[in-house]
Amino acid sequence: MLRVLINQIRFTALQAIGLVAFLAAILAFLVISQSIRQLGRFGAVDNLGTIMVVAVIRELGPLLTALIVVSRSGTAIAAEMATNRVMGEVTALEAMGIDPYIYLVLPRMLGAIVSVATLMILFDGVALVSGYVAAATSGMALSRYTAIVLKTLSAKDVWLTLVKGVFFGASVAVFCSYHGLAVKAGPTEIPQAVTRGVVATIVAIFVLSAVFVVVAA
Amino acid sequence: MTDARASVVLGPGVAAIAGAPPLAYRNVDLLERPDRPDRRFNLVVEAGTVVAAIGDEGSGIGALGVLALGLRAPTSGTVEVFGVPIAQLPYYDLLAFRRRLGYAPQGDGLLQNLSLKDNVALPVRFATDHRLAEVDARVAQLMDDFRLRTIAMLRPAQANEEDRRRAALARAAALNPKLVVLELPFVGLTGRAATDLLEKVTRCDDGSRRAVLLTSRDLTPSVRDLVTRAVRVVDGVAVEETT
Repeated sequence: MLRVLINQIRFTALQAIGLVAFLAAILAFLVISQSIRQLGRFGAVDNLGTIMVVAVIRELGPLLTALIVVSRSGTAIAAEMATNRVMGEVTALEAMGIDPYIYLVLPRMLGAIVSVATLMILFDGVALVSGYVAAATSGMALSRYTAIVLKTLSAKDVWLTLVKGVFFGASVAVFCSYHGLAVKAGPTEIPQAVTRGVVATIVAIFVLSAVFVVVAA
Repeated sequence: MTDARASVVLGPGVAAIAGAPPLAYRNVDLLERPDRPDRRFNLVVEAGTVVAAIGDEGSGIGALGVLALGLRAPTSGTVEVFGVPIAQLPYYDLLAFRRRLGYAPQGDGLLQNLSLKDNVALPVRFATDHRLAEVDARVAQLMDDFRLRTIAMLRPAQANEEDRRRAALARAAALNPKLVVLELPFVGLTGRAATDLLEKVTRCDDGSRRAVLLTSRDLTPSVRDLVTRAVRVVDGVAVEETT
């Protein structure tokens, strides 16, 4: 089980670092570049921190990270679970007296939670750096950028990111595992199970995001 | 559910009737036809015997394994394992109970993402409280007994059919159960390989014979020599065969 957990973290977190960092850098660069240009026209560049923290770090970062994990690992989890079911491996586990939910689902859920939370922190870190690069190209000094961002960034944003990581990660594993294990007919049902799992997870993540906005307000 | 005076504890929350046969099907509707009460299956597998249930596709033999393991509840009649109506056990008691049984499903039921060795080790790792060294020793013994040592690290898809079947039977025998249920264990194997595997799986660690129920389309003469009793399953009913 520990090996499944380690493999899950390796595949979900380590192998996604490049993609998450790249998308975080691009997103933050685009958002901050556009924001400086538009805010500068009204002399409201000091509101850059609010856009960076509220839009990128608090909302888009967790959402985009979770979507990356769904598309990479959620599909893999759903397909693997469905294959386990179709190949009779789930029945074999039950016949050996092993709870398939403990053996198959639990390590993937823990791995997804750790991975999503870690990737969200990475996303935020890269976004902050990339945001500075965008600001610097518009002539903003590092000290000013730091002051603007830190004025808005709070401890709440950090723990909210971690809590979102836990819920989003669990959603990826639970919904994709559920739809994978629900396969009955045969191999032709596997792609459908993957689609159902991914769609359900995406909906759940958006709903959870909305819930977090209300709860954390 | 069980008579407390006659029961022996097999594990947490799991008891069995002392002296009860390892496996008994009583008036079981194998083909799930409630309108045919005359077609009911009865079979008792006594301790230390090897019973073969032979039948064609659609005869009902495909249900014997899943019913014996409580993976499916009979629509009528009862299946008793060591005297316990297995389908009536709550889920987690059922999981604990199954650790007393060996099962090799049709095909092989091996986990494709594990090596043959890890497949054999699976029940020992997860269904016992053995220490790591004890697990390793037990798995090494099984790999030797079932002649899997040289191919231990192959994945099931990399191994041939006979080796996959060896691994599945080694896994079924891993916890040294008193009852083993084998579904079509010899399909695609030579008579010699089948005999070799059956001889291995019928022996407990202490040298005594364990109860075995195997299902088959047909039996080769060499396998038939090792079978204590054979029944032919026809349209959901057991008909005694001469061995």
